[in-house]
Amino acid sequence: MTSRIIRNIPFNRVEGDLEVSIEYADGRVSDAWSAGTLYRGFENLMKGRGALDGLVMTPRICGICSTTHLAAAARALDAIAGLTPPDNAVRVRNVALMVEHMQSDVRHSVLMYMTDFAHAAHARHPLYDEALRRYAPAAGSSAIDTIRETKRLLEVIAMLGGQWPHSSFMVPGGIAFAPSQADVLQCLQLVRGYRAWYERRVLGCPLERWREVDSRAALDAWLDESAAHRDSETGFLLRFGREAGLDVIGGGPNAFLSYGSLDLPQETAVVAPGGQLVAAGFARGTAVAAFDATHIAEDVSHAWYRDHGTLHPAAGETDPYASAQAGRAYSWVKAPRYDGQAVETGPLAEAVIDGRPLFIDLVAAGRTSALARQLARLTRPATMLPAVEVWLQELLATQGAPVVAGDGHVPDGEGAGLVQAARGALGHWVRIENGRIARYQVITPTAWNGSPRDSTGQRGAWEEAIVGTPIADPDNPIEAGHVIRSFDPCLVCAVHTVRRRT
Amino acid sequence: MATRIICVGNRHVHGDDFGPRVYDCLAGQPLPASVDIVDGGLGGLGLLRYLEDGRHVVFVDAVAGFTAPGEIVLLDAAEVAGQCNGTFGHEAGLPYLLRVMPAVLDSPPPAITVIGHEGEATTQAVQAAAQLALRLASEVATEIADDVCCV
Repeated sequence: MTSRIIRNIPFNRVEGDLEVSIEYADGRVSDAWSAGTLYRGFENLMKGRGALDGLVMTPRICGICSTTHLAAAARALDAIAGLTPPDNAVRVRNVALMVEHMQSDVRHSVLMYMTDFAHAAHARHPLYDEALRRYAPAAGSSAIDTIRETKRLLEVIAMLGGQWPHSSFMVPGGIAFAPSQADVLQCLQLVRGYRAWYERRVLGCPLERWREVDSRAALDAWLDESAAHRDSETGFLLRFGREAGLDVIGGGPNAFLSYGSLDLPQETAVVAPGGQLVAAGFARGTAVAAFDATHIAEDVSHAWYRDHGTLHPAAGETDPYASAQAGRAYSWVKAPRYDGQAVETGPLAEAVIDGRPLFIDLVAAGRTSALARQLARLTRPATMLPAVEVWLQELLATQGAPVVAGDGHVPDGEGAGLVQAARGALGHWVRIENGRIARYQVITPTAWNGSPRDSTGQRGAWEEAIVGTPIADPDNPIEAGHVIRSFDPCLVCAVHTVRRRT
Repeated sequence: MATRIICVGNRHVHGDDFGPRVYDCLAGQPLPASVDIVDGGLGGLGLLRYLEDGRHVVFVDAVAGFTAPGEIVLLDAAEVAGQCNGTFGHEAGLPYLLRVMPAVLDSPPPAITVIGHEGEATTQAVQAAAQLALRLASEVATEIADDVCCV
């Protein structure tokens, strides 16, 4: 006999701004609804302000992706002004973005994802005691080590941006100032220190060895190869995750999106097809097609907004209407779709669209999993560290070269700033009229991943990913939590009030 | 002894904008040479870099549940850290920062005080907190100077 119950998953670390309800039947999740319960409204906050205000205001959308919002805002203004930043501006922007990603990737993995391995629900797992030693909240050895090392790395953004947090050093046509030779040298030293730690502690091997891992079989061989591999954070993620079944849950829509990011300077030793280090594309399964920004549209049929139809974000409206679609709406998050398709975005999507063989193998034939998604995040710095070092060295070799094009003036017009944030595709669509912001639409990675249903009834990416997940204890559905956290949901980081515990 | 005043919060979110408004107030007036101010925004763990150079630190932040609406309250680092259960998330703010600080910094600040304000960030409350922050900073400087004289 089928029994159906509804459970609200307690997302203790998302403080109530994300509520996921699951329908549970025969030991598995049979349906799911993800609700963002906080109206942000930055789009409306921006209207009527000066053309450059997005550079100051949008970095405050997020405490973790602050630099990425700045980059999206600056790129939108670049597009409106028709400016191409000089090579050294591109290098500085890229290095800052990559540093933000690299600290976020490891912090999320260790402090937010693997900390659940130390949850009492896993007490019977054979690796539980080791998980406790590593990931016990605010005390585990891996947690403390990760905070120490990522703290050092973030100094790079402080030096390149001249301010931390929430710098506004990216401006239309480039950056506001050229970092000094001494600052760049110090950045290089910090990045090399991070690389040494990342290789030792996170990978357990040099980056070059990790990049040789090109299939599921090669991953197994890598894991068996040495104690250093097994004991690394990556090795432990695999060992614990497989035993816990994370490699067979969390599939998602099997469609992936990347806007592409990290433009190559015109003259650089970094090589990547398509002119960007992170490729743009849309993939159904592992079949990758070219990315076309005109295929993006926002559906609000199940969100608390007045429905003006399914619109491209350049024409989009953010018109809150709490009684809209009474009985149907359940989220403040809109439902962005690509060519009508719900997609997932983030490090795994980047890996698939980049054609990295290991991840192609891991997701082939619809085998996408929460473990593959988290593995892609934890190992993404391995794809970035070499380029960061090259671009810093090129900055040293080209000191004095221009860092900004144009005169800072932004004419009236429309433009989009599309980048990859740590959590995936981020876009700012901006229209300037009479020197002021007439329209500002933002689609965050969490809107892609955590959207509600659309007018066709299609679930959002992580709603889809948790359907079918086996649940051992309906009162504590930690398995569903593992799936959703593999997307690194970001909904609440804009509010940090100190609250007394009750 | 130098003191750093770190104002925390989101200036674009009603109810969390107290710290940034105090920062704006302080930034608009002459400050003693020994006082350094930081717009801490949503820095979270990123603010650790401001706790490593031996300065005394005064945080200013919005609080909830510590006092009556409209009131200012002084909290010590241990009390704020005690509001954190140890888990980290995107919402992690001062409690998490202060909870992990002893484990991740080799030389934490010699003293940390948190000026908390509950409720609406009125101009009067903002100005009062700014003056209190400056007074705490100067008291620290005086205490240290006295200690040095005694030696």
